[in-house]
Formats: sequence, C-alpha cells, structure tokens
Amino acid sequence: MLEKFMNMDRRIIFILVALVVIIPTLIPVRLPITVSEPTQKLYDFIEELPSGSTIMMAFDYGPSSLAEPEPMAKAVMQHCFSKGVRVIGMTLYPNTPTLADKLMRKIADENNAVYGQDYVFLGYRPGTLPVILGMGTNIANVFETDYAKTPITEIPIMENITNYDQIDLLLDLSAGSLTEAWIIYANTRYGLKIAAGVTAVIIAQMYPYLQSGQLVGMLPGYLGAAQYEKLLNAPGDGTVGLNTASFAHLLIIVLVILGNVAFFIRQEREA
Amino acid sequence: MELFGIWVAAFLTLCIYSFLYRDNPFYRFAEHLFVGISVGYGIVIAIHQGVIPLAWQPLSEAVSALWTEITGETTPEIRSALWGLFKIIPIAFGLLFFARLSPRHNWLVRYPIAILIGFGAGIAIPNMLQANIFEQTRATIEPFGAIGPFVDVPPEARLSALDIFGAILMVIGVICTLTYFFFSVEHRGPINWLSKVGIAFLMIGFGAAFGNTVMGRLALMIHRVGFLINEWIGSFGALF
Amino acid sequence: MKRQVPLALCFLFGIAMILTQFSPHSYSQAVYREVIVWGLIISPFALVLAVATLAQTHVSRIRFRSEHWQYSIVVFVGMITMVCVGVPFGPKNSVFEWLYDNVQVPMDATMFSLLAFFIASAAFRAFRARAFEATLLLIAAMIVMLGNVPVGDLFWNKLLSLIPGSDNPESWVNSFADGASRFRQWILDIPNGAARRGIILGVSLGVISQSIRIILGIERSYLGGGD
Repeated sequence: MLEKFMNMDRRIIFILVALVVIIPTLIPVRLPITVSEPTQKLYDFIEELPSGSTIMMAFDYGPSSLAEPEPMAKAVMQHCFSKGVRVIGMTLYPNTPTLADKLMRKIADENNAVYGQDYVFLGYRPGTLPVILGMGTNIANVFETDYAKTPITEIPIMENITNYDQIDLLLDLSAGSLTEAWIIYANTRYGLKIAAGVTAVIIAQMYPYLQSGQLVGMLPGYLGAAQYEKLLNAPGDGTVGLNTASFAHLLIIVLVILGNVAFFIRQEREA
Repeated sequence: MELFGIWVAAFLTLCIYSFLYRDNPFYRFAEHLFVGISVGYGIVIAIHQGVIPLAWQPLSEAVSALWTEITGETTPEIRSALWGLFKIIPIAFGLLFFARLSPRHNWLVRYPIAILIGFGAGIAIPNMLQANIFEQTRATIEPFGAIGPFVDVPPEARLSALDIFGAILMVIGVICTLTYFFFSVEHRGPINWLSKVGIAFLMIGFGAAFGNTVMGRLALMIHRVGFLINEWIGSFGALF
Repeated sequence: MKRQVPLALCFLFGIAMILTQFSPHSYSQAVYREVIVWGLIISPFALVLAVATLAQTHVSRIRFRSEHWQYSIVVFVGMITMVCVGVPFGPKNSVFEWLYDNVQVPMDATMFSLLAFFIASAAFRAFRARAFEATLLLIAAMIVMLGNVPVGDLFWNKLLSLIPGSDNPESWVNSFADGASRFRQWILDIPNGAARRGIILGVSLGVISQSIRIILGIERSYLGGGD
C-alpha cells in the first residue's frame, strides 16, 4: 500500500495540479495581500518622481515567461501615466519586440496615454553589453529610430533625452540574469538607478543587490505585481494570479509533507 | 480573424499539454512548428532590428554621401557622413561569422569572436570589480556603522537587536560561503567547520530559490489555464 | 594569422576597454565610443549565424533521414513562412504579428508551463529530508512557499487568533501578525542574501581573473581547436 502510494502514477499528481488551478480560475477568490519592502521601495520611488520625469523599461523576458512581468508592466505603467511620468520601452531579448510593443500600446490605450508623448517603444538591438554601454553615451547611436522606424529625433518624448543622465530610473522586467548586467554596466558605469521586476525563479539572487542599494526596489514575481496593484488600489492580473496560486502552493506543500511522511514510515519499517 | 487566432492558439496549447499524458505526434508537430516559427522570427528580428539599422543603413548613408561628394555638391554634413565609410571594417569583421559555414575557412570566425570576447573581458574587469566586489563588501560591513551606542549615530538610525543579529549573521554567512568555495586548501579542522556552516547557508538559499521557483512555474501554468478558460472557452458564445 | 591575429585583437580591445574606463580625456572617450560601435555592428551577425546554425541542424536531419526527420520539414515550413512575410514587409506586418501572437507566443508559454506539473511531481517524489542539509533546504522552501501566497499569512493569523488575548489590539500577540510573509522576507534577506553574496563574490573573482587571462592570451579556449 505504502509502496503503491509512493510510486503512484505521476499523471494523478498532474490531474491534482490541474484541478487546483482550474477551480480557482473558474471561481475566483480574494485573499488579503501583505506588501513587502522591496515593492514598497519601488512604489515610493516612482511616487516621488515629479511629473515630466522619464523612466526606461527594459522588457527582458520572452514569451515563455510573460505571465509574471506583464502584470508588473501594467501596474507600473499605470502608475507612471497617472503621475505624468514618461516611459521609454526597449528590450534586450530577440524574441520579445512584438510582445513588448503590443503590450505597451495596450496599457497606454487603457490609460489614455499618447504614443510619442507619454511613451515610446524603441525596439531591440543585439549584443546586450554594447547596447547597455552604447545608450550610456548616446541613445541615438543605438536606436536611431523607434520600433516603428520613426527617427527618434522626430519623437517628442526623446527631444531632451540624450543618454542615461536624463533617465530617472531603469526598471528591468527580467526573466534571466540581465538585471545583473544592467547593475554592473549601467548603474556602476553611468550611475543609472536600477529597479527590477523579476520572475520568481531569480528573486533569491537579487537580494544582495537590494541590500547594497544597487537596486532601488524590486517586484518579486506574481507577488510583486499583486503588491503593486494593492498599492495602486487597482487589482489586476497579478492579484488574480496570486490568489489562484495559493491553492496550488498548498497542494505542493501537502505533497511534500505526504512524500516525507511516507518516506519516514518506510525507513522505520526497514529499520 | 481574432477568433480564429484564439482557436489556433488553443489547439496548439492543447497539443503541447497532450505531452503530459505521453509523447505523441500532436506534441511533436507543435514542438517543431514552434522551433521553426521562433527561428524565422529570430532571423527577421536580427535583420530588421540588427543588421539593417546598425550596419546597412549607416553604410548606405555613407555611400550616398560619397556619391554626393564625388558629384561635387558637398556640404559639411556630407563630409562628416563620409566617416561612416569606416564602418565597413566592423561590418567586414561581422561578416566573418559566416565563415563558420565553410569547413575550410571556419578559422576566420575567430576574428569577430576575439573582438567581442576582448571587449567583454575588458569592460567586465573594472565594472565587476566595482559592482560585485567593492559594493558587495561595503554593503556587508556598512550596517556595523549604525550600531549604537559605540558609534556616533542618531538614536533613530541605530539598528535594532534583530538588525544587529542579521548583520552579524550576514558576515558569518558570506565568510563561510566563500570558505566553502575556496578549494586551494584542504577542508580540514576550522576550515572544514566554516565550510560546513557555508553549506548550511547555501542550502537555505537554494531552498528559498526552490520555493520561489514553485511560484514562477505555477504562474506560467495559471496564465495558460486563464487563456484556455477565459479566452478560448469564453469564445464559444461567439461561435454558437 | 590563424591564432596570433585573434589573440592580438582580443588584447587590443580588452586593454582599450580597461584604459578608457579610467581616462576622461576626449581622445580616450572617442576610442571608448568607437569600440562600443564596433561591438554594436558585429553583434547582429552573430545572431544571424546562431539562427542559421539551428536551421543547418534540421537540414542535416532531413538529409540523413534521422528519427522523426519529417518533423524537421515542419520546422522549415514555420521558418520559411516567417522569413517570407517578415523580411520583405518588416516585423510590424499584420500577418507576421498574427503568427507571432497566435502560434509562437502560446506555444512558448505553454511549453514552459509544463514545468509546473513536473515541479509538483518532483516535490512529491524527490524532496526528502534525508540529511541535515536537505532538511534545511526543505524548511526554507516551505516557509518561502507559504510566505509567497496570501493564504500563508491567512493561516498564520488564524493560528495567532487562537491565542488568548489576541482580540485585544494592544496585545503582544499582534506584533507577530503576518508571520509567514515576514519570515519569508527575513530568510530571503539574511541567510539567502549571505549565501548569494558569497556566490556573487566568488563568481566575480573568477570572472575577473578569467578576463585577465583572456586578455593576456593565457586562456585561449574561445579560439576552439585546430591550428
């Protein structure tokens, strides 16, 4: 019986996982969310920016991991537009430009923001390091045009922007280690302030940079998106996702406990 | 067209989920279609967002400036545009990447690789030293500057007992973790103990990473299930 | 020619990037900018080569009739369709965007979402408290998991409310509210932060020493084999 339980067909676990995700998706619940310090710091930083400031948003994630950064982008851009903070988007991921372009336009439409005045999407350039370093000397050297091939000299938002000196913050929405590259090459070399919105997989490795102040704030995965939405008082995809994830987390915790109980019972018997 | 797109996306999503039952032709079809579409997308983006704006466009502008210069209608702007002709050198180095496709000449690929490697190594040394060594060391020691009453800091800026405990634990953790990775000496005696404490810190770090990874993986699935339920099943009403 | 020139180029570009970092002179900064421009121009070709190499793999699969070679034809159909639409009309073409939105994005996202099922299965089968270190890992993971979702604090606060006197807002019990998320935060801040910082310091020292070896031509593995 015990052996059978320990070696149960993994498809039974798959069905359980599917159920704990499908049921809360069909019947959404709302649970209280606590705001953590890294999210609060980012919110406060943007809240204190005067109208007319500019932030840069790097969409450094691919379609494979869009679930977490998209609600973050929505929440932060909504905050920026409501405060008159302008947003410049770009990406260092080759399979993301279309995704980021459409996402920015969708969020902007929802917030009545105007392309070219309130936000712009510059697109993608290959090479990571030359791109990060090149924008530090002159953004026009790297992006002579935006993604729609309009020369950036003709885009109002870019009028007084030459390099990082005119950018108040870079928010890196990242699914990999590119946040570290931004910290090492844009923050250290040019003094650009960096914040991160990272997928849950890389949250843990960002903490030393948060503590050292090299990151001004961080949105940790779905949790960060939900917390930011709470601060904005505008629940969205992050809140829905996090509440749904609660039940799947409980299932995994129960599975770990059951697996260990069975393991110890077997060990006891063998002894 | 939008509705058709939702159905195509849903069909392909289900093809991939069919792998959970077992490997099958539907999954393999979707997997290979995905690779093909991704590679195609990559080629288009590399050309339109890389080669054209960074190499082709500046060079063609410089060539047309040269033509204007030859025909005699020159201006100072055209003169300065002529400098763009020098971009032919890095473009030539970039083209050497394609030597990889020829077995006889593939050694030529070392040239552009050497430039990029040298560039990366050179820029990494000073910046990594500053960002990851000096800054991280400073951040490890700095909290001790705010411990009263021995240091002259205002009472409201002084660390709490929990913060002091955290700062001490941080120093111990960093030293022990580094000791664990220090393979130049044999791990015996006190070094062995320090490295064992380092392993304990690492395990807690990896445990935290696993805990977060669970959230990350579930987020991906919740997003897809949300699509299937809200968009695909939600589109049934428009059909019937 | 085959080894010396690349080594010299690597040295030259490496030294240029180090020296220009420390010299604000206009000549030095002009060199710095020029080297970055070279990096920007060379990089796209590497990307084109990377995707071309992937295509080459499938050509040889078809040529040698490897197992499931028929699916490589599907790869080419997908690739050629995207290239034929995207290269002449650009990435903002509506057909190109439609294919990206409804074929590439859903499949990429779904492919990785499979990992949610496998991580649950692995948690049940392999996540065992076999030794002290494994127990630490397991406990940290459980706390972080509970702290990551609102249900963790909900349970914790429910437990606290069972303690007599907790209904009084002044009670000491209430200072322990939201324990799951606070404990999660502490684990990530301190023990995890210390371990990660140790890794960052170790890895960075390694990268820096390796970079010096590369620039000086001691480390040559990037040149590959052959003469």
